[in-house]
Amino acid sequence: MTAAEFALRTDGVGKRYRKGWALRDCTLALPAGGVIALAGPNGAGKTTLLRMVVGLLAPSTGTVEVLGHDVTASTPQTLSRIGFLAQDHPLYKRFTVAEMLRFGRACNLRFDQGMAERRLAKLGIPLDRRAGTLSGGQQAQVALALALAKRPELLVLDEPVASLDPLARHEFLQVLMGAVAEGGVTVLFSSHVVHELERVCDHLVVLNHGRVTLTGDIDTLLAEHRLLVGPRTATDLDRSGTVVQAVHSDRHTTLLVRDGGIPAAPGWQAQPVALEELVLAYLRRPSSGVAA
Amino acid sequence: MTWLIWRQHRTEVCVLGLLVGVFGIALLVLGTQAHDLFPGGPARCTGEAGVSDACTASFRRLDAEYGYVENLLAAFYLVPVVIGAFLGAPLLARELEEGTWQLAWTQAVPRMRWLAAKLAALAGVTVTLTALFTAVLTWFRQPFDAWEGSFQYDAFDLEGLVPVAYALFAFGVATAAGAILRRSLPAFGIAFGAFLAARMSVALLARPAYATPLTTMEPVPAGGSEDRAVADWMIEHGYADATGRRLSWTEYDDLKAAADRAGTNLNQFLHERGIQQYGVYHPADRFWTFQLTEAALFIAVAAALIGVVVWRVRRRMV
Repeated sequence: MTAAEFALRTDGVGKRYRKGWALRDCTLALPAGGVIALAGPNGAGKTTLLRMVVGLLAPSTGTVEVLGHDVTASTPQTLSRIGFLAQDHPLYKRFTVAEMLRFGRACNLRFDQGMAERRLAKLGIPLDRRAGTLSGGQQAQVALALALAKRPELLVLDEPVASLDPLARHEFLQVLMGAVAEGGVTVLFSSHVVHELERVCDHLVVLNHGRVTLTGDIDTLLAEHRLLVGPRTATDLDRSGTVVQAVHSDRHTTLLVRDGGIPAAPGWQAQPVALEELVLAYLRRPSSGVAA
Repeated sequence: MTWLIWRQHRTEVCVLGLLVGVFGIALLVLGTQAHDLFPGGPARCTGEAGVSDACTASFRRLDAEYGYVENLLAAFYLVPVVIGAFLGAPLLARELEEGTWQLAWTQAVPRMRWLAAKLAALAGVTVTLTALFTAVLTWFRQPFDAWEGSFQYDAFDLEGLVPVAYALFAFGVATAAGAILRRSLPAFGIAFGAFLAARMSVALLARPAYATPLTTMEPVPAGGSEDRAVADWMIEHGYADATGRRLSWTEYDDLKAAADRAGTNLNQFLHERGIQQYGVYHPADRFWTFQLTEAALFIAVAAALIGVVVWRVRRRMV
C-alpha cells in the first residue's frame, strides 16, 4: 500500500507527561476505509493517542501521519480532512444548535450545512434550542453532525457512546454506521466496552498500559486465534503455537493460542474465540511484547 | 472568526460597554457643570494664573461642590483592570473548563491563528473601552488638574497612557492565569490581585525612581513659606540645618518645642537659626516621560505573559 492508502500511520510514537509515559513505542499502520476500534481499559493511553492523531497533542517521540500527511503541521488543509469528536462531545453550551452549525461553517474550508440540517431534522433536534439544554444523546448527535458536515476523510471519536444510555447509544451508532455506509470516511474510535465492537468494526487495536498489545483485521485475528481445551497440564505449553493465555481449572487447562491451533495431543479440543475473550486475554497479559 | 469571537464574548463586551457608558454619561453630566464654574475653560487657571481671584473662587466652589466626585474617582484606576481581566479571563479558561478547546482546535482554523485572532480582538476591545473611559475621565478632571496638577496618584493613575497599560496588564495576567488554572473566576481574581500588588509596589517604589528627582533647599523665610507650584510631584520634604544636614522629625519637634518655650513665632525662630527647608520633587513637565515609562513597564509584563500563553497553546495543552 502507498502512504495515502493508510488512514493512519504511526512510527515509534510516545507521549510523556510530567508523571510518566502515557504512550510508548506505538507503531501502527491502519488501512483507509472501514471502521477501526481502539480498545483498552481506562488510562491505557487511548485519549492521548487520539489527540495526537487529530493534532491536539504533539508526540514526545516518533511521527504521526494521517492520510499521508504529518499532522503536527496543523495546516487548514490537513485539519479539514480530519473530523474529531472528543470525549463527552463538548459543545458551546450557550450556543443554539443553529449557532453551532454557523460555528462549523465559519471555521471550516468546506462545511455541508444542508447535510447537517437534514441529519438533525431527521433526529427531531430543533435548531433553535440551546446546546446546553439538549439531552446527552442529542448533544452527541449534534457533535456528530458537526463533525460529519466537514466531510472528513478520517473521523476520530473518543469514547463516543460511553456516556450515553442504551437507546441513545444505539441511535448514535446507527447514524455513525450510516455515514460509513455512504462511503469515503474512515472511522477510528476508542472504547473500553469491548462487546459492542464486533458488530461494527473491521479493524482492532488493543492498547494497554500505554502500549499496543494487539492490532489487526478483526476477521483475521479471530481466524488466527483458537481456544484449546484439554486435561490440566502445567508444562510444555508452547508446543502448539504462541500461547496468549493459559487458564487452569481443577481438571482442565484452557489455552488461547495464535498461529496453528490444531490440537497437538489427544484429548485436546479446538474452539473459535469470541472477540471479547480475545481482547480480554490480551489485556490480562503482562505489559510487554507487541503482537502484530 | 469575527462572528465566533463576538458570539462567545458578546456578554462581557456588552456588560463592560454598559459600565463604561453609564459612568461616562454620569461624568459628562457632572463634568459639564464643573467646567461651567470656569468661564473660558479651566486651562486659563492652570499654574501661575491660578492665583487670580476669579480662579481661586472657582477652585473653591469646585472643591465644595465636586470634591466628593474627585475622591470617588480615585478608586477608578481599578476600572481598566476590571475591563482587562473580565475580557482576558475566559479567553482560554472557558474553553478549557468546558472541553471545547478540543472542538475549536480541530476545525480548519489552525490554533495559532485562532489564538492570534482572539487575542487581537479582545485586547483591541480592552484598549478601546479603556481609552474611551480614560478620555472622559481626563476631560472631567481638567479643572482639578488645573488646580493641583496631574502628578498625584488620583490623577496620574487615571489619565494618559497608564490606564490602557494597566488594562493590558490585567488582560495578560487573566489570560495566562486562565490558561494555567483552566478556570475563569480564579483567573479574574488573580489578575486583580496581581495588579494591586504590582501597582502598589510600582507607585510607591519604582515610580519615584523613573528619573532623578530635583532638590530645592532654601532658608526658612521669617514670614512663613509661600506656596510653591503644586503641579510638581513632591516626594519628600523637610528641614535641614545651616550646613545642609537634613533634620529628623524628632530634631524638628525639639526645635518646635524650643520655639514654644521661647514664645517666638516658629518661622522666625527657625529663620534665626539658619534652618533651611528642602523639597525633593519631580517637576510637572515630567508627566509624559513618567507616563511613558510606567506604561512601557506594564505593557512589557503584559507582552511577556501573552508570550507564555502563546507558548503554552503552541506546545499543546493537557
